[in-house]
Amino acid sequence: MPAARRPAPLQQKKNAIVLGATLSRWTMSYFAAALIAFLAAELLMTLGYGYPSAPVESASTLVLVHLVVLGWLSLLMCGALFQFVPVLVARALYSDSLPLPTLVCLIVGLAALLLGFLQMDGFVSTVFAFFPAAAALLAIGFGLALWNLGRTLWAARPLPLPARFVVVGLCSLAATVTFGIIFTLVLRGVTDNPHLADVVANGVPLHAIAGLGGWLTFTAMGVSYRLLAMFMLAPDLDSSRSRAGFYSGTAALAVAIGGGVAAICFAASLTLALLAAGLLGLCALVLYGADMLRLYRARKRRVIELNSRMAAFAMAGLAASVILIVALAALGFFAQHVAATAFLVAFGWLSGLGLAKLYKITAFLTWLECYGPVLGKTATPRVQDLAVERRAIRWFFLYFCAVWAATAALLLEMPMAFQACAGLMLIASLGIIVQLVRIRRLLDVGVAMRLPPGIRMPQLLRCSVQHD
Amino acid sequence: MFIQTEATADPASLKFLPGRQVLAEGTLQIRDREAAARSPLAVKLFNVDGVAALSFGADTIIITKSGGDWQHLKPALLGVIMEHFMSGAPVVLEPIKAIGEVSSEAQAMVATVKEALRLVIDPELGYNIVDLGLVYDVAIEDGGVANITMTTTTRGCPATNYLKDGARDAAWSVVGVEFVDVKLTYEPPWTPEMMSVEAKRHLGIADGDGW
Repeated sequence: MPAARRPAPLQQKKNAIVLGATLSRWTMSYFAAALIAFLAAELLMTLGYGYPSAPVESASTLVLVHLVVLGWLSLLMCGALFQFVPVLVARALYSDSLPLPTLVCLIVGLAALLLGFLQMDGFVSTVFAFFPAAAALLAIGFGLALWNLGRTLWAARPLPLPARFVVVGLCSLAATVTFGIIFTLVLRGVTDNPHLADVVANGVPLHAIAGLGGWLTFTAMGVSYRLLAMFMLAPDLDSSRSRAGFYSGTAALAVAIGGGVAAICFAASLTLALLAAGLLGLCALVLYGADMLRLYRARKRRVIELNSRMAAFAMAGLAASVILIVALAALGFFAQHVAATAFLVAFGWLSGLGLAKLYKITAFLTWLECYGPVLGKTATPRVQDLAVERRAIRWFFLYFCAVWAATAALLLEMPMAFQACAGLMLIASLGIIVQLVRIRRLLDVGVAMRLPPGIRMPQLLRCSVQHD
Repeated sequence: MFIQTEATADPASLKFLPGRQVLAEGTLQIRDREAAARSPLAVKLFNVDGVAALSFGADTIIITKSGGDWQHLKPALLGVIMEHFMSGAPVVLEPIKAIGEVSSEAQAMVATVKEALRLVIDPELGYNIVDLGLVYDVAIEDGGVANITMTTTTRGCPATNYLKDGARDAAWSVVGVEFVDVKLTYEPPWTPEMMSVEAKRHLGIADGDGW
């Protein structure tokens, strides 16, 4: 950087443009859309829509599942990756302009998909072909996200370990979307290829494993290595154990998805492929668990923030999911309780981690937007000053307790109890969202520091680069 | 004496841990043979073919090579480091702060700039960048040119540009400073050990060996 001379209004303007590269301006919009889908899904569960009041394979359950996985978790993950992949690889995002069209395609694609399921159920009576429209829009949306993140990662090779997890997660996303497109093509009669028809008949577990296991879980694992180290002041882990975990997880996904498709196409045993993948996946998760324990123990910050404490609860949810899957499989009840385990993975692990990190990321992005530009010019609050943890913690506790109780209700086949627990989850989620809005509106920052001269109140749904 | 080595993020740099104190305080970066004159150890290390730059920390020596293979360079470097420490010779000839011809006026301005930099906080840790050890060096040249060398707690930190510009603006606020040049470096990488006692106490971090 050349020496800067004062007074220099032009140089300050130039700097504001450079600063914009550090702030993903549409990430808050992704988060807002994701939270709306999350609340909608919880409301539907509270009202008894979908499983367990309806069969697992019913259209209403499919609406619920895709609202959670696409609307909530995938939008949350995409928004977070647009902000944090540049952090993982210390390089700017390939394109700052692609996230908005990506978001539009994903939201409209999701809406079309849900309408397609409702059409299948007879709830929507129009003849418009919603499924092909959904497949096209979601393929374009995720394709844009893959292109943007992929180009960013490609330019940063050789990649650190957390970024390699993300690469595998993105490959799994591509596989998940491909399965979805195949389902649409076959079910709409566009193709009658026998192999593809077999994939549609038997490939739903592979679609779920690629989505929940590869795209969402593996990516979350990679990001957690870096974010937890950053937030707790712990050393970055890249030991042989971490790498062994990464390779066994990658192998598990390759065996499950690649091996699974091969088994279906060549009439081999899909169960065998999934069993082999399961053992490799178990190995990866045990190694990841050991790494996370090491990260928490090696942290320099003895008193950790709410987000790191709640992330530990989410990881306990992941551990409980693994134990539940192994126990049910050993007892021969897995097929009967697959929905309960998927629920625990989606809400105990992924959503729990998502909410915990959302609480931190929202404060961090808001701080960057409002106080980053005046750093060095005036006194600024800390990121922690934007949130009041003692107020938020009760909602997080309620959320996790309600999720665990709801899982128990599913296992015990008590639909009314499940609905009550879903209602508590909804209340807890609303409580957490109120805290996020308070952070975004700077309501908990002391008046003296709230809005320095030249800084305006941040928008709820969009981050903008501010400068005085 | 047992000297450990550790890889760094940069394949051209290797960290050596001699298991004893290298510098009593601060860090010292030596980018060429000429600058090595201030350190007997640096002079000997630069005599090994392939050494391009050195960085001394509290208990670390980071050596950056200009070429060649670590497999061949490492034994020679280990030998030099071991021989130096066994001889009892100092790492630097005089305290780092006294190195160079710095006028008392410039020294006073360095102190004022550092004080001004305390206005800049790391948003995540919530403490000023000087006491967090993120400011590696402040130097004042003729004509009121302030040269600041700083780092961030983590490479790729989203607040990097804000911190850099905040440091620049804070330094600018000092009367007499006309030009500010802020350089960002990740050599040596920041560790919690670089914090002041006050910062560690504020964050509840015990004294220890870095990570």
